[in-house]
Amino acid sequence: MIDHTLSQHDVKRVLKVKIKVGELTNAEPDALAMAFEAYSKDTLCEGAELIVERVPLLGCCRDCHYEFNVKMMYFLCPNCKSANIEVVQGEELLLESLEVE
Amino acid sequence: MDNERREIEVMANLRDSNDMQAEVNRAHFRKNNCLAINILGSPGAGKTSLLEKTLPLFNENMSVAVIEGDIFTSKDADRISVHDVPVIQINTGGSCHLDSKMVAKVLPEFDCQSLDLMIIENVGNLVCPADFDLGEAFKVIVLSIVEGDDKPAKYPVIFRKAKAVLLNKMDLEGLTDVNMERMKQDIRVINPDIKIFEISCRTGKGLQDWTNWLQDKVLAFQS
Repeated sequence: MIDHTLSQHDVKRVLKVKIKVGELTNAEPDALAMAFEAYSKDTLCEGAELIVERVPLLGCCRDCHYEFNVKMMYFLCPNCKSANIEVVQGEELLLESLEVE
Repeated sequence: MDNERREIEVMANLRDSNDMQAEVNRAHFRKNNCLAINILGSPGAGKTSLLEKTLPLFNENMSVAVIEGDIFTSKDADRISVHDVPVIQINTGGSCHLDSKMVAKVLPEFDCQSLDLMIIENVGNLVCPADFDLGEAFKVIVLSIVEGDDKPAKYPVIFRKAKAVLLNKMDLEGLTDVNMERMKQDIRVINPDIKIFEISCRTGKGLQDWTNWLQDKVLAFQS
C-alpha cells in the first residue's frame, strides 16, 4: 500500500509512517514496529519512524444514543444500562499518512 | 522543492487486500445460496470433534462441505473425510490464521452450487483469526470449559465478533474449578447478542440443539 502511494509521488525517502490502530483489533504496536522494520529494509521506508496512534473504543447506545468510551470491553451503556451497543470507533487499522522528502 | 519535507495523506484501510477478497468470497457464497461459517477456537477446544459429531446430525437433504485450516498437517481433513463430505485442507505453512485469499484459492475445487453449508475450520488460535474476514456469513467460537472461565475477558475481540459460542467439554464440569456463570456473564457483557450453547462432543450433550440452530440459519440464508 505504501509502495502504491509512493509510486504516485516523487519521493526520495520516507521519514515517518503514521498508522491508526483501533482498540478492538488484535494488532499489537510493538509487533507492528518490528514487522515494519523488517519489511522496510532496502525500500524507501528504511529507517522511517512508525508512529502508531491507538484509537480508543467508542460505543453508542442504540437505545438512548449516549456515546461513551468502552472500557475493559464492557459493552454496557453507563446512562441507561442497555447492552445494545454499536461500535462507532475502535475497529480501524488505517494507514493515515506518510511524511516524506 | 523535491527535498522539502511534506506529508502525504493516505487514509487507507490496511486490511484492504484481505477485506476486498473476502467480499468477493462472500458474493460467491451468496450467489450459490451457500451459507459459509468460520469456526474459531484454541488448539484442542474441540473444533474438529464438533464437526465430526455434527455432520451425522444434519438432515439428509443438507449438503455440507468443509475447509480445514491447519499450519502443517492434514490430520483434521483426514478425520472429516471419513464422513463422506467434500473436504479440502489448507496448510498455511506457518501462518497462525486463514486469510481470504487462501480460501479463494480452494473454492473452485468445490461444486458450490450444490452446497447448502460451507464450514471453514480456522487454525487453532483465539487471537489473529479474529482480524481476518474470510467472506463468511458469521463466526462461531468453540471454547472448552477446561480452558478457564477467564478466557472470554482475555480474548474479547473474537467474542465481540462471533454470532455463537459453543462451550464444549461440559462432561468435565464437576472435575474443574470453572465458574460457568462467570464465563457466560463475561461473554454476554462483551457480546449481548451472542448465542451460547453448552455442549459435550464426548457425550453428545447440546449437539442436536446446535445443529438445529445452524440448520435454521441455513434456511434463513436461503429464503
